[in-house]
Amino acid sequence: MQSIQGVGISLKHQHFREFLNNKPDVPWLEIHTENFFSPASTASKYLAQIRQHYAISAHCVGMSLGSAAINCPIREQHLHKIKNTVEWLQPGLVSDHLSWSASPAGHFLPDLLPIPLTEEAFTIVANNIRRAQDILQRQILVENPSSYLTYVDSPMTEWQFLSALAEDTGCGLLLDVNNIYVSAHNHHFDSLTYLKNMPLSAVKEIHLAGFSTEVIEGKELYIDTHGHRVCDDVWQLYEQAIKRFGAIPTLIEWDTNIPELAVLLDEKSKAEAIINKVECIENSRHIADAVNGQGRL
Amino acid sequence: MTTLAQLQTNFIHDCLSGTLTADNTLMAKDLDTQFISARGLMGIYQHSAIANITNSLRLSYPVIEKLVGKDFFQLMCKSYIVKHWPTTGNMDDYGESFSSFLAAFEQVKHLSYLEDVAQLEWLFHQSSLANDNSYFDWTRLAKVTTSENITFLLSPSVSIMRSATPVDKIWQMNQENAPENNELSLDGTSDTFIVLFRQGLKTEMMTVAESEFTFLQSIEMGLNFEVTIESAKAVNADIAIDDCLKKYIELGIISGFSI
Repeated sequence: MQSIQGVGISLKHQHFREFLNNKPDVPWLEIHTENFFSPASTASKYLAQIRQHYAISAHCVGMSLGSAAINCPIREQHLHKIKNTVEWLQPGLVSDHLSWSASPAGHFLPDLLPIPLTEEAFTIVANNIRRAQDILQRQILVENPSSYLTYVDSPMTEWQFLSALAEDTGCGLLLDVNNIYVSAHNHHFDSLTYLKNMPLSAVKEIHLAGFSTEVIEGKELYIDTHGHRVCDDVWQLYEQAIKRFGAIPTLIEWDTNIPELAVLLDEKSKAEAIINKVECIENSRHIADAVNGQGRL
Repeated sequence: MTTLAQLQTNFIHDCLSGTLTADNTLMAKDLDTQFISARGLMGIYQHSAIANITNSLRLSYPVIEKLVGKDFFQLMCKSYIVKHWPTTGNMDDYGESFSSFLAAFEQVKHLSYLEDVAQLEWLFHQSSLANDNSYFDWTRLAKVTTSENITFLLSPSVSIMRSATPVDKIWQMNQENAPENNELSLDGTSDTFIVLFRQGLKTEMMTVAESEFTFLQSIEMGLNFEVTIESAKAVNADIAIDDCLKKYIELGIISGFSI
């Protein structure tokens, strides 16, 4: 299993050859596991070559952890496909979202659909996470999704729900800073409050991405499109996240309107600069504390 | 209180319902609609799901999109998706019936070649996902004393296709770097016989004579070698079976045999 550290970027098929030919300086890459379900496919063959040079994290979008369907065959089949991919890929991290896609009637929506944050949903999600971890034989990280609606009956906050899941199931958390920002705007809560209430020890990875804006019935909504650069406000929130959680692995995520690789590398440099800045401030503080301590002696 | 299972059933109903109205949105009672109506909120997810599925179809059918244009492709996809909602999270498996859907789709059903282009694109897609070829065991074949009960096997990435239109040329004309202003007449063309197979990371396409197509088709059907030879010779009595077999083994199109 490979170690995931520093700032990585999404691996998109448009950049396969560039990674193989030029081997840009990136500590790790994240893939969408579902794009590599066929081990002999052309895409998997590229990935097999790329992973010889880069650590890989496997990010999933179809575990449907919030699905209420019991013994849902779509979920079970999907989990076993993920297991097969994880077995040959041996990624450093495996993650999915606090969302659902597979319906009780057997339909699958390839999207990250929101769940109500209730006790019933908690029990279901916790059982599904345990099932996923049993099948995969490893810890998974669960990511906070962006959402555009809230349910009338949803008594818990998302940070309470995720924190309790981590404690109950032993899963880790993937903190998508952009998703916090998007959901905070859409649902009128404070991003910093969210950050401050996420459990320190459970957060193992951070995602950063761009979003777009839509006006629906006169209300401006932020939509998580992963097709733009990270916005200034999200960079500031990221700095707060690094101050709180330390320099945990961070991903520059990009899934639509894929730009040249240089753009992703530039965003990666920005994240690294923030990590360096926070570490410098922390080091200076430690030195100052030490000096002050000596002075008192 | 709505259970999670019921809420998810209602959610799917609304996403599959086409045009949502205040009356047909089942999710209305469960959503906070202080700022946006239930119809507006569910419309976001309906739109997003259809866009994601359309992107999957776009990856499998790039030539169809080029032929009909981006906007019309989106419209066709929406009609297709509403009738054929995914039942798997593996989107590689989604869209096989798109070619037959096009054949019946009112606005394009007169463009009969679209069905075959879509079928060819699906075969390309399947070939790119197929398992690798195994190496042909010539030594084992040399020990076979009679051809009566031998049955050859095609490699997993091989697909064959017969088309009444020059579908290979249509496909090639719509690839990147294809010469512009190429014209192709569809009048009076004879059938095209296509073989797809993957070599390394690339799926190759070649056209073959009808007799060789029949030879490969018989193998694909699992017929034994004697019957395979008879079928090919029925199309062309002069077909050189030994040369044909050697060629397709060397290309990796025939990858094994059973006795």
